[in-house]
Amino acid sequence: MTLAYRPGDSVGHRLDPRSKFAVQVSFVVAAFVYTTPWGLVWLTALTGVLMAAADTSPVVTVRELRYLVPFLVGAPVLQGLTLGTPWFVVADAVPPALASYRILLVLFVSAAYVRTTPVRASRAAIQRTVPGRFGRFLGVGVALVFRFLPLLQRDLARIRDAQRARLGGQRSVRDRARLLAVAGFNRAFRRADRLALALQARCFAWNPTLPPLRLGRRDLPALALAVGLSAAALYGAV
Amino acid sequence: MSDTTTSDVDLVGDETTLNIARAALLAALTGAFAIVGSIPIPFSPVPFTLQVLGVFLAGLLLGPVWGAASMLLYLVAGAVGAPVFAGGSAGIGVLAGQTGGYLFSYPVAAAAAGYLAHGGSELTDLRVVPPIRPLAGMTAAIVIIYALGTAQFAFVNDVGLVEALTLASLPFIPGDVFKMFIALVLIRSGSLNEHVLPK
Repeated sequence: MTLAYRPGDSVGHRLDPRSKFAVQVSFVVAAFVYTTPWGLVWLTALTGVLMAAADTSPVVTVRELRYLVPFLVGAPVLQGLTLGTPWFVVADAVPPALASYRILLVLFVSAAYVRTTPVRASRAAIQRTVPGRFGRFLGVGVALVFRFLPLLQRDLARIRDAQRARLGGQRSVRDRARLLAVAGFNRAFRRADRLALALQARCFAWNPTLPPLRLGRRDLPALALAVGLSAAALYGAV
Repeated sequence: MSDTTTSDVDLVGDETTLNIARAALLAALTGAFAIVGSIPIPFSPVPFTLQVLGVFLAGLLLGPVWGAASMLLYLVAGAVGAPVFAGGSAGIGVLAGQTGGYLFSYPVAAAAAGYLAHGGSELTDLRVVPPIRPLAGMTAAIVIIYALGTAQFAFVNDVGLVEALTLASLPFIPGDVFKMFIALVLIRSGSLNEHVLPK
């Protein structure tokens, strides 16, 4: 819940969401091509610069991604283990360890995007990038997901509280899961019906007015970085 | 200086409005399950989450087309920053990362579950169809989720398919089979179907 947009005036906040998205995508591609010790050193430096530009703390980000740690550590350990002596082959564990580190860098960069981009701007970017009704469906739908996620989370938490208060915590996992699911889905569908009615009452249209997005001069460094990373990735892959 | 433009209002049809609302709400619910829906299991490092149940029921209750649309919304919302992925994470880093394959498979899996359960893209009353159809649909969904998920895990982490299967798939399979039966109980009992079936 904590990895979310924070208002601010960092360089990252002032960029157009599309140029930030371009940087993210090209960073992912470059990270996959240069999964070598030296490549990762450079990418680590770049990640540091991007996070500083986005005013995003690596410590906070790590705390938010802690659930991934067992997988990141598990992959190299499992690959290094072997049946019989010497039980652990370091050479086998090195490529997965580099891969795990690469994943961490990619997650840091995407955290910087999430921290600096308001939802409205992302929605506008989606609708302007994906053409036609499909793009509008994505734009509207994504905005609705953002709006209803906290409500549904609260619904589920309330259902679980009510269960616990009635000693539901002592029932089997199977019963608890079933009851939580039935109540959760029922509430979600009831909300959907009310939402649809409210949308119709307010002339829900395919062509509403969106906030203006402008790719300006300040986006040039970001776009240049995206092009540079893509070119480097292409060069490394060929 | 005026910066105004005029254009006709292009209203969204009633049926489509309802489907968009349902697709968005099911996507949000799937995201909510990722955090609040997790139930800790004794002696297991992997919590029991109900996310996959969202995939099953999106396909079964909304049908193949809107079910897949709903899961697509879930992915796009997560990509642009809604904390809907496991443990409340977000961003395209998660999609490009080790567990991204499971997420990418959700729209396909929901479509497969819905198509097989309803025998086409038209919605039918799942209380009266033979239970083997929704079961076949959900089994196909599980196979799709694990196939894509394991493949991406192996590729991204640079480990063998066997290691990927051991670490990232096998521990979850019993739980997902169990969720399949929960989903079956839910649609057979009929308490949810009345929301989506024409009156």
